[in-house]
Amino acid sequence: MSLKKWRWTPVFALALVLALSLTVGAQTRTGAWLDEVVFVREPNQAQAITRLEVGDIHLYADTLSNAALFQRVEASPFLTYNLSFGSYTELTFNPYGPEFQDGRLNPFSVPRIREAMNMLVDRDYVVNEIYGGLAVPKLFATNSAFPDYARYAAAATALELQYAYDPVKAEQIISEEMEKLGAAKVNGVWHYKGQPVEIIVLIRIEDERLALGDYVATLLEDIGFVTQRLYRTAAEASPLWIAADPSLGLMHIYTGGWISTAIARDTSYNFTQFYMPQGQASPLWEALTPPEEFVEIARRLEHNVFSTLEEREELFVKGWEYALKDSNRIWIVDRQSFTPRRYGVQVAADMAASVQGSWLWAPTLRWEGQVGGSMTIALPNTLVEPWNPIAGSNWVFDSMVQRGTAEDAVVLDPYTGLAYPRRIERAELYIQEGLPVGKTLDWVDLYFVDEIVVPEDTWYEWDPVEQRFITVGEKFPEGLTALRKSVVYYPEDLFDTVKWHDGSPISVGDFVIGMIYGHERAKEESAIYDQSAVPAYQSGMSVFKGVRITSTQPLVIEVYSDAYALDAELSVSTYWPQDTYGPTPWHTLAVMFSAEASQEAVMSAAKASLLNTDWLSLVSGPTLDVLKRHLDNLRASNSIPFGNFLSQYISAEEAAERYANLTRWYQEKGHFWIGTGPFYLDSVHPVEGTLVLKRYEGYPDRADRWDIFAEPMYADLEVEGPARVRQGQTARFDLWVTFDGEPYASDLISDVSFLVVSSAGEVTVSGKAEYVAEGLYEVVLSGDDTAALPVGASQIVGIVVPIPVAKPTMVPASFVVTP
Amino acid sequence: MAISEAPRPGVESPAMGRTRSDVSGFVRVLQYSAVKLVSIAVAVVIAVYLTILVANMGGYVDQMRIATIKENVGMWVYQAEEFRHLSGAEKRELIDQFAQVQIQALRLDQPFPIRSLRYLWNGLTLNLGYAEGITSDSGSRQVQHILLERLGPTLLLQASASILVFVTALFMGLALSRGYGSFLDRLVVALAPTSSAPAWFYGVFLILIFAALLGWLPFGGMVDAPPPPNKFQYFLSVLKHLILPVAAVFTSTIFASIFSQRTFFLIYSSEDYVEMAKAKGLSDRAIERRYILRPTLPTIITSIALSFITLWVGNVTLEQIFNWPGLGQLFWLASRAVDTPVIVANTIIYAYLLAITVFLLDIVYAIVDPRVKVGAEAQSN
Repeated sequence: MSLKKWRWTPVFALALVLALSLTVGAQTRTGAWLDEVVFVREPNQAQAITRLEVGDIHLYADTLSNAALFQRVEASPFLTYNLSFGSYTELTFNPYGPEFQDGRLNPFSVPRIREAMNMLVDRDYVVNEIYGGLAVPKLFATNSAFPDYARYAAAATALELQYAYDPVKAEQIISEEMEKLGAAKVNGVWHYKGQPVEIIVLIRIEDERLALGDYVATLLEDIGFVTQRLYRTAAEASPLWIAADPSLGLMHIYTGGWISTAIARDTSYNFTQFYMPQGQASPLWEALTPPEEFVEIARRLEHNVFSTLEEREELFVKGWEYALKDSNRIWIVDRQSFTPRRYGVQVAADMAASVQGSWLWAPTLRWEGQVGGSMTIALPNTLVEPWNPIAGSNWVFDSMVQRGTAEDAVVLDPYTGLAYPRRIERAELYIQEGLPVGKTLDWVDLYFVDEIVVPEDTWYEWDPVEQRFITVGEKFPEGLTALRKSVVYYPEDLFDTVKWHDGSPISVGDFVIGMIYGHERAKEESAIYDQSAVPAYQSGMSVFKGVRITSTQPLVIEVYSDAYALDAELSVSTYWPQDTYGPTPWHTLAVMFSAEASQEAVMSAAKASLLNTDWLSLVSGPTLDVLKRHLDNLRASNSIPFGNFLSQYISAEEAAERYANLTRWYQEKGHFWIGTGPFYLDSVHPVEGTLVLKRYEGYPDRADRWDIFAEPMYADLEVEGPARVRQGQTARFDLWVTFDGEPYASDLISDVSFLVVSSAGEVTVSGKAEYVAEGLYEVVLSGDDTAALPVGASQIVGIVVPIPVAKPTMVPASFVVTP
Repeated sequence: MAISEAPRPGVESPAMGRTRSDVSGFVRVLQYSAVKLVSIAVAVVIAVYLTILVANMGGYVDQMRIATIKENVGMWVYQAEEFRHLSGAEKRELIDQFAQVQIQALRLDQPFPIRSLRYLWNGLTLNLGYAEGITSDSGSRQVQHILLERLGPTLLLQASASILVFVTALFMGLALSRGYGSFLDRLVVALAPTSSAPAWFYGVFLILIFAALLGWLPFGGMVDAPPPPNKFQYFLSVLKHLILPVAAVFTSTIFASIFSQRTFFLIYSSEDYVEMAKAKGLSDRAIERRYILRPTLPTIITSIALSFITLWVGNVTLEQIFNWPGLGQLFWLASRAVDTPVIVANTIIYAYLLAITVFLLDIVYAIVDPRVKVGAEAQSN
């Protein structure tokens, strides 16, 4: 036997062992894929791209919209990116008038002039020349990447065609209305009462709105207005638009911008927020005068006053039409932002808030095909404000790191906004008959009932003096009903499998304390009363009807409320020891509350300012010493917070163990931040701007649990059909729907529809495409359909609405209609 | 202060016993010092109050902040799911309540003139208190923590660069003044205009070359991420991160500094008394030490004292470019956030340092330079 023949055998064997171990490792790995994530501070976007290119950092967790940087990323062989769609731009008009207090004319007091502005602005130009392609034209307040747009995409497209760029028509309408106002053109310039009509354009300077403002001002000059351009930052502009009395005429047009930090599955409140006088506490909104019918539509949509989703669709589309007619603001673009990363970095990014806004970045972040390893993520800023879970830093960059260490009972789908269960077994949702609630996923059982009576022993309100809950029976002896009841069943082994990072098993006490402290913080009699917590508490209590723990093993929690969402999954109240800004184990809360009661460190910025004391941070700074002292005291006395009540859920042994664990944790790590997430906070370096997260080995879930969200399944659509269609002749078009080159599974598609737009710009036919085979749908235009089309260039627009992502795909194809 | 030139430097004043004129001289010094202190104090008060007025745009910033608070609260309330169930009127009421809490917390419900005087008084009495918006990196709102946290890195960067530039320029200037017209001298003169570009300009190029292209040195920051746990390794890491920013400062200032020192020494080298010393046959070293360096001491001391004070304000752009967590970045952040307590604290400390330095420099001048006299005696000369 020749040795030469076998010389590669050991190499193959080694490779096989490595491959097998990698596969086995991937299958048995729990928690995070990575062993370590290092966060560093990099405020300079251009430098971040350079650092990414040379491998100094691996992901830059910011939403960038600079076109030149985008081109650099696209050109780089080392870099790729995630797109997000959370921010949008508009022009806000001052509707007061027709004359301001000083007699100047305000053309934008006329709805028809505002409406015409939709056609004066060339949104394609704005997208391509101002935003460098990183935007899509926008006509409605509804974000085009969110579910509501996808639901009504066909109606939206028809309106978009109706209000397409048409400067001639726009100028004609504006001229008609200006003349009606008594203005006249003198030497090409509009004059009113002998004076040129001047338009004050208030232009924000921080981003592309600078160029947008200039563009709009130039458009107005071209049609005969004199403009005054005021260039201002956000803070400088605020007193001139949102806080100013519109009758003073400090501005006519403001280049506004808005941000959604999460996918909103229901955006029907937009009509009230943007078009109704009660939309904002601002004099500018008070000056709005929407038509009665529009007010009614907005009211019904905001408060879900409809019984079917078809009725909602009708209201929504009508709302869009009224919004365009009224146009106290016109929408310009939905911006697309990118989050750059190196090739090989795999992560789930939220469609609205990108990687840094995603709850799933931590369990999905990995080196492609690799188990373990380290990764460096740069953020524009780190440790922006003190970290505490109740009223600490709400900066997205801090939140990203915090979310890596925490988890919630449910996970929001980063591409649709739907809730998936993470730490709950199942849920039941009872809704009063007639309310428009539907469900998509199986983990919720939805029931419609005639009446929901709140049981007498349900906890309604906490009494901070007597340290006990006041029951519904005590508070409402006449009885109480609710519109919604949710029952959440937690897993049997919850208290065995889930442990805090300091080793303490999670317990019922962690849940119950979360039902108490919200009341405590809003009641003046409490030692942790905080004035800034009162408004939100009062608002919450206006719909809250009570909570009841019906079983502690397994844990079952009932919640009664008058608030509900259209999606059953989002209507379930899920308790979990996690507040807005971080995890809330009861023993950490005990230390925080003790420090707050002494006023040596307080949880909210507002209270810290009022008392001139320090804002509590669990991770760094002078409050650590304060917290350590209070921990020592609590440990010495082994006291349980709200002990009169909570001692029935927390034993003395549990308290002793928890305090001992936290003391040890502080000694080892130098901070008090503990969660149950896939990473723990290993070290904090405030001045250096560095944080280190390490994989939490005690995390119970498999590492691949959320891999389904690693890549958004945007649909690719191709429309094929005849280039020429004779009037009266049948025409067939094929719609090829794919993802990554493969047919898009039909069970993952909610809708495939089409519109036919004539050469006159009118929608002549619309409907659903017929399923032919996986990935293939067809549209057949009958002889009558084609006969109705005028001779000339027409378009068929295919629209695909996939289930896994909220963003619809719309693709037009042209054909010529011949006689 | 009036400064008069004595006929010759390096000549001791005639020794005199304790006479009546001695006592009157002491009184004159006291009077002079008192007047000087009062004038400096007035200047400090005016400067700090002007800073408060300018930073707050004469109180207009209050309007901006109130409007911004309402705008942000409004957007939050309208977008938050938990308030979805409220009617429009209820939402507006909620927005007002939330906004009012923030407005009261920032004391924006009090008239600006009153607050401006409190800012001034707190600043002058060094009662630095709490910041209104920004926090230290470690999360403290105490202004002293915020400043002290950033002082170390700024001192490290700026002092390293300043000392390096100062010592190099001093010795190079002296050497070139000896070799006037040499190739090196002409080279430095030719390169002096390069100092018209600021340090950050060179910083960008240095980063491109040594971090991006060669990968020898870090892009910025103060230490590796994660920071080494061992103190010696940490020290080495900081040194590595110091190289590029210090090099940027050095490159941007060194040639002009050498040129300035060299010119300065040349001017003093051509004084009559230096020629006289040469004629007397004194050694070059003795001439340099006694007739050139000593009369230039006040200028050198002034230069180094003022340059050390300016360390306090850091270098805004350079610290941004190198992501260096110093006072320059802090001042920029505080200005953007209009955090008046931090701005006032920064200004008052700088003003006090400057005032003390100016006051002490007069005394130092009198000690090191016998040509300097004070008060009426000086005027009579």
